[in-house]
Amino acid sequence: MSHCADDTVESRVIPDSPLIAFVGTPNCGKSTLFNVLTGLRQKVGNFPGVTVNPALGNLLGHKKNIRLIDLPGIYSLAPKSPDESLTTAVLKGENAKIALPDAAVFVINGTNLEKSLFLFSQFAALKIPTIVVVTMIDEIKARGGTFDDIELEHELGVPVLSVVGHKGVGVDEIKEHLRSIGDFSIPQISSLDADSIEIRHKWARELSKNVLKLDQRDAVTERLDKIFLHPVFGPLIFLAVMLLFFQSIFTWATPLMDFIDGGFSGLADFVATIIPEGIFQNFITKGIIGGVGSVVIFLPQILILYLFITLLEECGYLARGAFLVDRIMGAFGLQGRSFIPILGSFACAIPGIMSARIIPNEKDRLTTMLIAPLMTCSARLPIYALLIAAFVPAVYLGGFLSLQALVLFGLYALAAISGLVMAWIFKKTIFKGSKLPFLMEFPPYRKPSFKSVGITLFNRGKEFLQSAGTVILIFSIILWALTEFPRADVPEGTPQLVAERMQLEQSIAGQTGKFIEPVFKPLGFDWKITIGVIGSFAAREMFVSVMGQLYSADVTETDATLREVLKTSMSLPVALSVLMFYVYALQCMSTIAVLKRETGGWKWPTFAFGYTFLLAYGVAFFVYRISLGIF
Amino acid sequence: MTLFKSKKYMKTPLQLHELPIGSRAVIAGYGMINEFTERLQELGLIPGTLIKIVRRAPFKGPVEISYGTNRVAVRAHESDSIFVECLN
Repeated sequence: MSHCADDTVESRVIPDSPLIAFVGTPNCGKSTLFNVLTGLRQKVGNFPGVTVNPALGNLLGHKKNIRLIDLPGIYSLAPKSPDESLTTAVLKGENAKIALPDAAVFVINGTNLEKSLFLFSQFAALKIPTIVVVTMIDEIKARGGTFDDIELEHELGVPVLSVVGHKGVGVDEIKEHLRSIGDFSIPQISSLDADSIEIRHKWARELSKNVLKLDQRDAVTERLDKIFLHPVFGPLIFLAVMLLFFQSIFTWATPLMDFIDGGFSGLADFVATIIPEGIFQNFITKGIIGGVGSVVIFLPQILILYLFITLLEECGYLARGAFLVDRIMGAFGLQGRSFIPILGSFACAIPGIMSARIIPNEKDRLTTMLIAPLMTCSARLPIYALLIAAFVPAVYLGGFLSLQALVLFGLYALAAISGLVMAWIFKKTIFKGSKLPFLMEFPPYRKPSFKSVGITLFNRGKEFLQSAGTVILIFSIILWALTEFPRADVPEGTPQLVAERMQLEQSIAGQTGKFIEPVFKPLGFDWKITIGVIGSFAAREMFVSVMGQLYSADVTETDATLREVLKTSMSLPVALSVLMFYVYALQCMSTIAVLKRETGGWKWPTFAFGYTFLLAYGVAFFVYRISLGIF
Repeated sequence: MTLFKSKKYMKTPLQLHELPIGSRAVIAGYGMINEFTERLQELGLIPGTLIKIVRRAPFKGPVEISYGTNRVAVRAHESDSIFVECLN
C-alpha cells in the first residue's frame, strides 16, 4: 500500500545515500532519461492529494546507493496544480516526506530551449548543486542546427552534458557525474537581475538565440500534422487508432486472461490433490490461489493499455488525439485526454482509472476517475447476458433487428450517457471553478524509446501488483471467509450443488444477505439476489455463479438451466431492477482498490462507491416501481 | 503607405479567437492577471511575441497557436483575456 513512500523517508537518513532530483519542464525527456538510469527497480511514492507521484529509483550499476527522484514536470516555481506544488515544495525543502535533494539534474529539451531556460532562471535562485543535461541534440543536428554547450555552461554556471536518451548516447558520462556530486555546482546567472516573467523570458529568448542555431520549423512534424490534424482525415485516423486500441484491450487481452484463469484453476486443482480435503484445502485453493488469480487476471489489460498510451504519448500523437476530441469532451466539462481512460473503462475500469494519469489537470483527472466505473465493463456482460436471455424475447424487430441486442445496446448507451452527465454535474459542483483553463502543448513527433516504454510497463505492472494487488488480495480473502464461515452442517451423501448452496446460505455472507434484505426490498430484490449482490463485490460476474449456487443450477450463463430457473422464480420488473442496479453500482472491490491507490486515500473511493450506489438504488427503484405498474 | 500601415497597427487589439486561421499576430497583452494568463506567459507568450494561428480542431474545438518552436492549443471561449494585434 503506501509503505513505498515511507521507505524513502527512512533511507534518507543514511548519510552515505545522496538524493538527486530530476527537474525539468513537461515533455523535456526527463522521464526517459530517468528510466534509462534507474531501470526496472523503480518505486512510486504515494502522497496524499497528489495523483501523479514521483518515481524513485537507484542509480544502476553503482555500489554506493545513489537515489534518484523523478519530480513532476514544472514550468515555473509558481505551481498551479497539486503535482507542480509537490515539485516546488521538494525543491524548496518544504515537503514533510521528501528531504531537500542534495543535488539536481536539470533536464533541458535542446530543441525548445527558451522554456527550459526560463524555468532555470527561477530554479537557479534555489542554490541547489546542479548539472544540466540537454536532450535531443541528435534532432538538432539532423535538422542542420548547432548547439553551443560551452556558451550555455558559461551563462548558467553549471556543467552542461548532452544525451540522446533513447539511444543511450552520453548516458555513461551522466552516470559518471552522478557518482561524484562534487562535480555539481550551484547555478550562477550573472546577466539577469529582475523578477518579472517578461524580463526572465526575454533573457531566456536572448540566450536561446545565442546558444541554439536552428531553423525554427520542424518540417517533419508540420507535414505529419497536416495529415493527423486534417479536418477530415484527422478524425478518421483518430477513430481508427481508438478502434485498434479498444480492440486490443477488449479482445487481444482475452486469450491471455483465459490463460491466467486456466493456469490458476489448474494450480488450484493440483494443490487440491496434495492437501487433504477440508477447510484448509478450501482456504488455499479458493482463498489464496483464487485471490492471487483475481489480481493477476488484470495484468494483460493493464499492460496492453499502458503499452498503447505510453507509445502514443512518447511519439506525440496523444496530444493530437486530445486536441481533436476536446470539443466533444469539453461539452461535458472534461477534456480531450479524458477520452482514453473512459474508452478503456469499457473493457475494464482498472486499467481505465490507471490511465487517467495522462490527464495533467487535477480536477479533470479526478472527475474522469470518478465516472470511469460507470462505463459498462466486460464483467457486467455475463449478468446482462443471463438476464437478457431469460427475460427479453428473442424476436427480431422488422425481421432483422434483434430485440435482445437492442436492449444490450441500450444498457451500454445508458451507462455512457449517465457517466458523461455525472461528469458535467461534478464539474459544476464539487470540482467547480477549475484553477486553470485548458491549455495543451504539442510536442514534436519523435521516435519512442522502446527501452523506456518497456521499463515503464514493467514498473506499472509491478506497482499494480504491489499496491492495488495487496488490497484486492485482502478483500478477496475476507470475502472468501464471509462465504465459507461458519461451516454448514451438511449430511453425508448430499449432492455437491446442494451442499454448496447450504454452505452459502448459512455463511456470514448468506445471513447478511438475509439480514439486509429489507434494504433492497424496495427494489424487488429477495434474499437470494441480495446475497448475489454481496458476492459480486469480488467481481461483478460472480453474481451469475452465486445465483447458480443459490438455485443449485449450472452456472454458465449460456447454459439454459439457470436461465429457465430464473424465468420462473424472478419477475420481469425484478429482472429490470437488477439490470439497472448493475448498470450503475460500483460493485467491484478491485476498482475501489485502484481508486484508493490512484487518489492516495480512501476519500474518493468512498465517494465513488456512495454516489454510484445511490444512483443504482434510485434508478432501480424507479424502474421497478414503474414496471410493476405496467406489467 | 506608412500612414496606412501605422493605422493598421494602432487599431484596438483583438481577442485571440477573432483571428482567422493562418493569420499572424503579436501578443498585445492580457485582460486580466490570473493563473491562466500567468501560465501562458511562463510558456513564453509574453507581450510582443509573434504568433500564428495554425488551425482549429473540428466542431469549433481548441485553437492551435504556434510561436518560435512552440505550439500550444487553447479553447476559444477560454481565451478572451488574450489580446493580440493582427499583422495581416
